[in-house]
Amino acid sequence: MAWYIVRRLAVSVVVLLGISAVVFFLLHLVSDSPGRVVLGQRASPEAVAAFDHEHGFDRPVVVQYVSYLGQLLQGDLGRSYKLNQDVSTLLQQNAARSAMLSLAGLVLALVIAVPLGILQAVKRNSVVDRVATGAAYVLYATPAFLLGLVLIAVFSQQLDLLPAEASQSHSPWVVFTDPRSMALPVVTIAVTSIAIFSQYQRSSALDQLGQDYIRVARAKGLPERLVLTRHLLRNACLPLITLVGTMIPLLLAGNLIVESLFNYSGLGLLFLNSLHREDYPVLLAYTLIGGVLTVVGNFIADIAVALADRRIELAS
Amino acid sequence: MALDSTAESTIVSAAPAAPDERVLAVRDLSVEIRRGDRVVRPVSGVSLDLHRGETLGIVGETGSGKSMTGLALMGMLPAGGRVTAGSIDFGGTELVGLPAPAYRRIRGNDMAMVFQDSLTALNPTRRIGEQVAEPVRWHQGLSRRAARQRAEEMLALVGIPRPRERMDDHPHQLSGGMRQRVMIAMALVCEPKVVIADEPTTALDVTIQAEILDLLDDLRVRLGMAMILVTHDMGVIARHADRVGVMYAGRLAETGPTTALFELTRHRYTQALLASIPSLTHDRGEELHSIGGAPPDLSAAPVGCAFAPRCTAVTERCRTEQPAVVAEGSHAFACWNPASGPVEHATTRLAAPARIGVEHDGPRLRVVDLHREYPAGHGAWFGPRRTVKAVSGVTFDVAAGETFGLVGESGCGKSSLGRMLVALDRPTAGEVVFEGRSLTAMRSRELGAHRARLQMMFQDSSAALDPRMRIGAILREPLAIQGIGSRAERTATARDLLADVGLPSAVLERFPHELSGGQRQRVALARALALDPTVLVADEPVSALDVSIRSQVLNLMRRLQGERGLSSVVISHDLAVVRYLSDRVGVMYLGRLVETGPAEEVYAAPAHPYTAGLLAAVPEISSMPRDQRVGRVRGDLPSPIDPPSGCRFRTRCPLATERCAEVEPRLEEVGPGHQVACHFPLQPVVRPSHNGGA
Repeated sequence: MAWYIVRRLAVSVVVLLGISAVVFFLLHLVSDSPGRVVLGQRASPEAVAAFDHEHGFDRPVVVQYVSYLGQLLQGDLGRSYKLNQDVSTLLQQNAARSAMLSLAGLVLALVIAVPLGILQAVKRNSVVDRVATGAAYVLYATPAFLLGLVLIAVFSQQLDLLPAEASQSHSPWVVFTDPRSMALPVVTIAVTSIAIFSQYQRSSALDQLGQDYIRVARAKGLPERLVLTRHLLRNACLPLITLVGTMIPLLLAGNLIVESLFNYSGLGLLFLNSLHREDYPVLLAYTLIGGVLTVVGNFIADIAVALADRRIELAS
Repeated sequence: MALDSTAESTIVSAAPAAPDERVLAVRDLSVEIRRGDRVVRPVSGVSLDLHRGETLGIVGETGSGKSMTGLALMGMLPAGGRVTAGSIDFGGTELVGLPAPAYRRIRGNDMAMVFQDSLTALNPTRRIGEQVAEPVRWHQGLSRRAARQRAEEMLALVGIPRPRERMDDHPHQLSGGMRQRVMIAMALVCEPKVVIADEPTTALDVTIQAEILDLLDDLRVRLGMAMILVTHDMGVIARHADRVGVMYAGRLAETGPTTALFELTRHRYTQALLASIPSLTHDRGEELHSIGGAPPDLSAAPVGCAFAPRCTAVTERCRTEQPAVVAEGSHAFACWNPASGPVEHATTRLAAPARIGVEHDGPRLRVVDLHREYPAGHGAWFGPRRTVKAVSGVTFDVAAGETFGLVGESGCGKSSLGRMLVALDRPTAGEVVFEGRSLTAMRSRELGAHRARLQMMFQDSSAALDPRMRIGAILREPLAIQGIGSRAERTATARDLLADVGLPSAVLERFPHELSGGQRQRVALARALALDPTVLVADEPVSALDVSIRSQVLNLMRRLQGERGLSSVVISHDLAVVRYLSDRVGVMYLGRLVETGPAEEVYAAPAHPYTAGLLAAVPEISSMPRDQRVGRVRGDLPSPIDPPSGCRFRTRCPLATERCAEVEPRLEEVGPGHQVACHFPLQPVVRPSHNGGA
């Protein structure tokens, strides 16, 4: 396993280098010079040139990329000239809040989807199973913004139970300190995942129910409840671990919509606003984080599966 | 027919049945399973008694209802299944209609079940100690520590070495035999009164099978249990059961004490079944008795005797009237025209094999010092890369029209070897020479042309035939690939092939899943023969088939081998099957041939202790003389990653000395064409020599 980890880390570095290069060069292709973006359309060409020269933006792109990499290695993600702040400071403020929102959504989704999937497998082809499967397809096909709007319309405007806007506190712990205002964003994030997870869990549990060890557990005289919790649960969750790992970066994208819909200041909203402001250093950093999360998510999933299922030997 | 039910097992006879202590009485048990609109009746009117300390064998083919009877006793019928009639009296408790919670208190506690070993029979993600301890914790409320203690004792009792260390292992770290021991420990940990063993050794090698069955016998006596041994293997029944029940189509056809039933067989089905099993002493010139047709569909309401359509002694009465059970003392049977003893010898002699298609001198297939290694990952963190030495230096010839049999335990490399023979895999070293030309040296295009002459038949025909292709398309495909004939001609060829393997041409339009296992294996054979090969490699050709179907396919293979002058290599763990099909055999152990020679000679006078040990482990209905110097092979096959030095068999050999660890023995003649690689062969070496291996 040691070789495996070493090799995976090495591969991850290469992948991240690739992502950063592609994004860096693409942004250079589509954007005007940073000086123009920062100083505005009415700034004189001389002022723009002077700005670019001062910040090294007139150097060849490759040289700029290398120096950007050098900064990255020192933990410097660049500087947002629009907001006049370090990108890392900006991200720090928002990353924790985004993570908490995603995590809450993910946990909620798992807590509902895992038992639901197992229930569907145990009662396969029953009314419960068919309704749940039908609902899963509908929800999976529903875009997050539509779902969020429907939830706002029903729970906030019609029933007046929950606020339509997320908490504006800057603490990352708002999910716990202000659950009422966070309920709708968390639910919006969770619902789509529930649809995917429960269907996945259903088919995985169906596979496992057909395995001999389930019959052996029943032959021990265990009640069905224990057969399911002690024997089926862990084995049926193994495929889900991989799925959750690959879903982590998707959750980030989900945040983009939910955060803007509920006006929750997190990475997603920051990205969206930076897009409007053409704040390239922030966009670049955001994309890199997406890449890191993808790589790390898959990596964690592989290790977690290997730890949960001792049959798996991670080959190098 | 002499019966040797206690061979090698001193325990069986030490367990006198106590007829007064009846632990289980089943009367007229009937089960139906409803799936949608389809109703199947897998068990109909089964009555049986089980006494303390005895083993009742229930034998039958797939779908005979033997497993379903066991599951019904455990109250574990599959979804849609229920007991429709009858009673199960378990020590005074009526189990039919018992509420679920009460049933659960009995299940796993007073009545337990041992299932067939499979990779998933144990929960793959939990430690074996926990799994064994689970029933005692649940049923007897033992503390975690006490249950763990008990589990450890139980693991020691079932013969797991160093049980304390094994407690924290996961199932995949154990060998198949060890897993089955754990399964037994799990079933017996609460010391049940009745244990139902459903095909407990079917997935295991003969050597392990013998150990597991002896273990069950031993434990049954020690713990004073009664056992129901459900199996399809008549040999296992003969060696290990006190009484037998033969099931056919959901009914008990015949029951009686084992000795009486085998000596004075009464039911026509039992008689035919016994005659269709190839034995280690069968005259190879005779065809096996074979039962025509297939078992009935149990969803149709039965009229008359279910065996009538396949019975040779059938009368009008058999077709219209369900036979009544006739009791002769403790021997009972349900047959209108009972037999009296084993099948009369009215056998067909096989024609001498034709020698056709011999167009060049020398052997048709020559295997020269073949090696195959597979990478196996790293042993430890930062450990070196390891290799599995699947085949390490095998040499043999197959002449035109000859059948060479390869036997050995699973993991000995026989299947890896088979794949290289037909160029599905390339050797690491050595070569396969086909009709004088090296396949190993050929480029892939050239090989493609030769592939037509080299065909393979696989064990699992349901996996080897594309489920979405009709049989016609499956048979035409090889012809189309080789560009033989027009479409119409290919269809005609496919029809001829089906006729050759005894199937009607209507089968052309069917899909594989619409055929029975035996029919599918015939199709697999037809496909292998489509390109008129000269070499056929059959890897476990009948292992997945039931006894009565198996003899049909075996006879067919023998006939086609002879008619077509095929050179065949038959690979099987079943020694009797290999003997029946092969002219010469090779015994493989850990990637090496340890003995080769004419089949009948090797079986009658094995020279290698391993061969003798393998033969001794085969449960046979009739006894046969055994070499007393070596018992049967015990223990597990060592790892092919790190094989023992010198003679690879030495770790399990009763005759091993230091010399065996130092010098690897070479193949030496002990008879004409009979060679053995052993320093202390059981037959004298022909050419006196220094046995030099240095």
